Amino acid sequence: MDFAFTAEEQAFRAEIRQFLHAHPPEQFAHEGMDAGYGSGAHSHAFMRALGARGWLSMCWPRAYGGQERPFMYKLVLLEELATAGAPFGPLGGVDQVSDSIIRYGSDALKRDLLPGVARGDITFWQGFSEPNSGSDLLSLQTTAVHDGDDYVLNGHKIWNSHAGIGSYGLVIARTNPEAPRHKGLSMFVVQNGTPGLNPRPIRSMTGAVYHYEVFLDHVRVPKEYLLGTEDEGFMQVLKGLDTDRFWGRFYKAPALRRVLDQLVDYANTTTRRGQLLAHDPVIRRQLASMATDIEVLRMLFYRNGWLIQEGLPTPYESALNKVLADETGQTLTALGMELLGLYGPLKEGSRWAKLHGYIQHLYQTTMGHTIAGGTSEVLRSTVATRGLGLPRESRGRS
Amino acid sequence: MDFRLTDTQELLTHTARSLFQQHCPTTLVQQLALDARGFPDDLWRQCAALGWPGLLVPAALDGSDGTLLDVVLLVEEMGRACFPGPYIQSAVVATSLVLMLGSPAQQALLLPGMARGERLATLALTEESADFTPEAITMQADVGGMLQGSKLFVKDAHVADWLFVVVRGNGGFNVVRVARDQAGVTLWPLEVMSGEKLFEVAFDHVQVSAEALIGSPGMSWEALTPVLQRGALARSAEMVGCAQYVLDTCVAYAKVREQSGRPIGAFQAIQHHCADLLRNVEGSRYILYNAAWRMQTGLACAADVAMAKAHISEACLAVARKGHQILGAISYCEEHPLHIFHKRIQAAGLDFGAPSMHLETVAQAIGLVPLR
Repeated sequence: MDFAFTAEEQAFRAEIRQFLHAHPPEQFAHEGMDAGYGSGAHSHAFMRALGARGWLSMCWPRAYGGQERPFMYKLVLLEELATAGAPFGPLGGVDQVSDSIIRYGSDALKRDLLPGVARGDITFWQGFSEPNSGSDLLSLQTTAVHDGDDYVLNGHKIWNSHAGIGSYGLVIARTNPEAPRHKGLSMFVVQNGTPGLNPRPIRSMTGAVYHYEVFLDHVRVPKEYLLGTEDEGFMQVLKGLDTDRFWGRFYKAPALRRVLDQLVDYANTTTRRGQLLAHDPVIRRQLASMATDIEVLRMLFYRNGWLIQEGLPTPYESALNKVLADETGQTLTALGMELLGLYGPLKEGSRWAKLHGYIQHLYQTTMGHTIAGGTSEVLRSTVATRGLGLPRESRGRS
Repeated sequence: MDFRLTDTQELLTHTARSLFQQHCPTTLVQQLALDARGFPDDLWRQCAALGWPGLLVPAALDGSDGTLLDVVLLVEEMGRACFPGPYIQSAVVATSLVLMLGSPAQQALLLPGMARGERLATLALTEESADFTPEAITMQADVGGMLQGSKLFVKDAHVADWLFVVVRGNGGFNVVRVARDQAGVTLWPLEVMSGEKLFEVAFDHVQVSAEALIGSPGMSWEALTPVLQRGALARSAEMVGCAQYVLDTCVAYAKVREQSGRPIGAFQAIQHHCADLLRNVEGSRYILYNAAWRMQTGLACAADVAMAKAHISEACLAVARKGHQILGAISYCEEHPLHIFHKRIQAAGLDFGAPSMHLETVAQAIGLVPLR
C-alpha cells in the first residue's frame, strides 16, 4: 500500500492550482444551477477554459487528440476543481460520454463530437428516467424505430439534468418491443435543436432549474448516432449508471471538506450566548466528526478509483460509496443549517446572509442526491445482493 | 495511490487467517475469557515461532523487520478471530516504547526476548481518572525516588515480565521499568465484561533507579505520543477485524435462516442493515490503512490517527449492535460467539482514547480555535 501521489501527479496538482489562482472560478459566467454534488454550476465558459488547457481530453488516446495521461490525473483534476468550488458541472457527464464514444461510437460520432468535446463546446445530458420509470428503469416506454438511415424516437424523458442548456442528450429507448424487458433497449446520441425534441424546465425546490423533462415527438436520429450495439443498451446503461455513481460523486468529499472549512471559520468567528460557537463542546464534536466522515469518504472513493484504474471489478463499491457520499452531504448541510441558526435560511443576495447564503441552497439540493442515480434504498439492495451475495427479493415482474 | 498488499503481506494475512481458523476457535476465546489467567499458551508459541511478536523489531535484535502496516494487517486477522492475549500491549505498544525511547543498551537488553515472544511487557499509564491525556497522570516519581500509588486498567499485567510505568517526574514524564514480581508491586484483577485481563497495579515504595528509566528523565508528553498512537492504531485494526467477523457471520446467517418461507437476507430491511455493516467495515478499514501508512512513512499523522480511532470505535460498535439485530435472539446467548466480538470492540474502542478524546484532536486539526 502506498497512498502517496507521484511527483508528476503533484506537479499536475500544482499546475491546476496555478490555473485556478490565475482564473478565479467566480469570474466565469454560468448558466445552469449548482446541483450541490460538488461540481458547481454549469458553465460553458469554464468548460472552454478547461478545454483550452487540454484537460478535457488529457486521458484520451492520441489517435483522438488526447495525451494518454494516466487515469489518476482525472481524480487529481476533479479533486482540485471541487476544492476550489469551480463551476465544472458538466465535466463528469462529458468525460463519461466521450469515453463511451471512443469505446463504442461510430466513426461519425467520433468525428462529429470529439473535437467539440475536447474544446469544451459540447456538454451532455442523460435521458434515462421516464415519468413511469424511476427506480424500475426497465419499464421505460420511449421507442426508437428504424426508418431508412435514421431512427425515429418517440417518448417522454424526465429528470434530465441541464437538458435545456446542453448540446446533446444520451437517450435510451426501446428498439425491440418484442424482446424481454432487459433486452431490446438501445442508446442514442440526440442533438439539442433536432425538430421534435422539446425540453421543458422543471423548477426545483431550490427555486432554480436543474432538471428538465424532454418530449420526443418523431425525433429523427441518424443511425450512426446509435451508441454501442442495438438492443444491448441496458447493459450499457447499467455500466453507465455505475460509473456515473463514481464519477458523479468522486468530488463530493473535497467539496464537503470545503463546506466544512467554511463552517469551521464561521464557528471560530461567531459568538452566541457569550461564547464562541467553536468553544461549544457539542459543536466541536459534531464538526470533528464530520471531518472524519469526509475523510472516510475520500479514502473509499480513492480505493474505488484505484480499482477502476487497475481494471478490477467493482460489483458494489460505487453503489455503496454513493450512498455514503449523499448521506454524509445531508448530515453536513443539516449541521450547517443548525449552526447558522436563523441566518441559515437566508438566501444568496440578502445583506444578512452568512456564507453567501450557500448552505441553504446546498441543504436543499441534498434532498435530491439520495434519490438521483439510484435511490439509497435501491443501492443498499444492490450492495446486499451484488456485494454480499444475499438473495434477491422476489419481484412483481422480471 | 496503490491499495495493493505486498506479496509478504498477502502471505502474512493468509498465514494468520488459517492459523487462527484452525487454532483459535471462538470456543477457546470464550473459555479464556472466563479463565482467570486466560493466556493462550500454545497459540502464543505458534505466533512467536512465526516471528510475529518481533514484527516491529529489527532483525539484528531477533526481530523480523516488518512494517507498521504489516502489524495492522496481522492484528486485523487477530481481531477476526478475537484472538486473546498480550500481542498489542507487548509486541506493539511496549515494543514501540523501547524502540522509540530506549537507549541502544536497553533495546539490546529487552527487545530480543520480547521479539521472540519469551518476554512480555505492558504499559501502566491510566489512573483513577481513566484518561489517556497528560493531565490524567498524577503519580509522581523522580529518578532516585519511589513509586507510590496505583495504576488502573493495566492490561495483561499478570503475564507481563515488565511493567512500563508512566509517571510525572523530573519536570516532565518518566517511564519506569518495573519487574512485575518485584517487591512492592501488587496486582488486583479488575473483572470486565470483555474478559480481557485488566488489573489495578499498586506500587508501594518501589525504587526508581536511573537504569530503570526508559527514555530520558522528564520527557515531554509528545515523546510518548507516537507510542500511544500505535496503540490506538493496533486497537483500531483489532476492531476492524472483529467487525469483519460480525459482517461475515450476519451475511452467512441471512442467506440460510428462513422465515415466512424465504431467507431473511431476501428482506430489504435485513439487506439494508447488511449493506450498512459493509459500509462501516470498509470505511473503517481504509481510514485505518491511510493513518498507518502515514505514520509508517513519517508524515504528519496525529489527525489521521485520531480520525481513524474515533471513527472505527463508533462504526465498529455500530456493526456489533446491528449484528445482534440481524442475528436475532440466538445472538443474545452466551453460547453464540457474537457477544465476544461485541465486547472486544467495546474494550478496544475505549483503549488508547475514546472517540471524544480523539475528536478533540481532530477539532484542533481542522482549525477550530483551541478551548484554552
